[in-house]
Amino acid sequence: MPAIFTVDPRSGVPLYLQLIEQIKRAVALGTIAPGEQLPTVKALALELTVNPNTVARVYRELEHDGVIDTSPGRGSFVRTDGAGIEARRAVADVARVTFEGAVREAKSLGLSREETQELAARTIARWYETEND
Amino acid sequence: MAALISLKRLTKRYGSFTAVDDVSLEVEEGSICGLLGPNGAGKTTTFKCLLGFAKPSGGTIAIEGAPVTPATFESLAYVPERATLYDNLTIAEHLELYRRSYKNYDAARAAELLALFDLDPGKRAKRLSKGMRTAVALTLAFSIRPRVLILDEPSSGLDPVHQRNVLDLMIDAAANGAAVLFSSHQVGQVERAADSVAIMKRGKLIVNSGIDDLKTGEKIIEAVFAGPIPDIGDLAADPRILRAEQVGATLRVATRDDSDDIAQRIFALHPKSIRTIDLNLEEIFMNAVSGDQH
Repeated sequence: MPAIFTVDPRSGVPLYLQLIEQIKRAVALGTIAPGEQLPTVKALALELTVNPNTVARVYRELEHDGVIDTSPGRGSFVRTDGAGIEARRAVADVARVTFEGAVREAKSLGLSREETQELAARTIARWYETEND
Repeated sequence: MAALISLKRLTKRYGSFTAVDDVSLEVEEGSICGLLGPNGAGKTTTFKCLLGFAKPSGGTIAIEGAPVTPATFESLAYVPERATLYDNLTIAEHLELYRRSYKNYDAARAAELLALFDLDPGKRAKRLSKGMRTAVALTLAFSIRPRVLILDEPSSGLDPVHQRNVLDLMIDAAANGAAVLFSSHQVGQVERAADSVAIMKRGKLIVNSGIDDLKTGEKIIEAVFAGPIPDIGDLAADPRILRAEQVGATLRVATRDDSDDIAQRIFALHPKSIRTIDLNLEEIFMNAVSGDQH
């Protein structure tokens, strides 16, 4: 698998959630292709130096969310039917939560609705312009 | 999943001093439990009782579902905080002792471990540094492919690369079905390698939880008020709240569960701003051992 994942054990976010988000992101962006095999639980646990049950939980939840298929003896594979859609939805969710947090923070710092809108517009202009050029 | 390590209401008293106070703990097959606690919290005494090196004053112990007997050590490896080696024997001679004593001894595995820790088998134990002694003890422990591993500060004296190797050895053992119980002063190691965490303080087990649940549950809610902080009422006595402190116009509340619900109730007191802060294991550990509750 070409995608390299990293975990930050010093973060307050549980490691399994960090990994789920990264794998979904990689699937949504196509870094991991549909049908591609994921490492075994043991291999990924050793590669990242994280607990094997943590990785097993990640795979269980990814299967539950329709991103991967696991068959005993064969391994775990990115689903060919709709894994990308599921993953894209999940990544959009991450973006929504992050954006919501930023707006909540702006409000709690005392910015008015207009000031926050202005800030959002300026930030969007800055990032989307460079990408579309 | 079967519990390979099981302590039920373990108590160990030395005269009037209670070193281990009513501790119950289980480590399942394929699982790694990290035991944290300040010096003198009772971690090593717990290990000694577990291994039959100290006689419990109360409670029961089971390894692989049975009381500890000499046969238990066929599939159990223990690495003490200070490795006990024979000063005049070489590393190779220590391995030879293991080969003769353990039917599960795996020579190929032992050779891999020597290479992993950069150990020269011809060196005598008395000429080894503290870190190298730890590495030898670990090599011996993992050479018998144990089902149960009890490791007391298994990375003391090791450099960061070899510390990472120790974590990988534990992870590999657990992935193959072993149960691992290890103590550490390095919270980051526990955070990576363990799926459950136990925290001891003054002989008592004050935290015993899955690591993800612990991190999901424990949060700090910080609310800033425009004027004086209003009375938080019955929230003050809420068992889900570990601590509440006020600094100027800021109210900081540490929660154990349901932080969203508690945040909403604080929000109802009309703070100027409110935010929920995720805690890492180190902060959770510091909160647990510094508080006077429990």
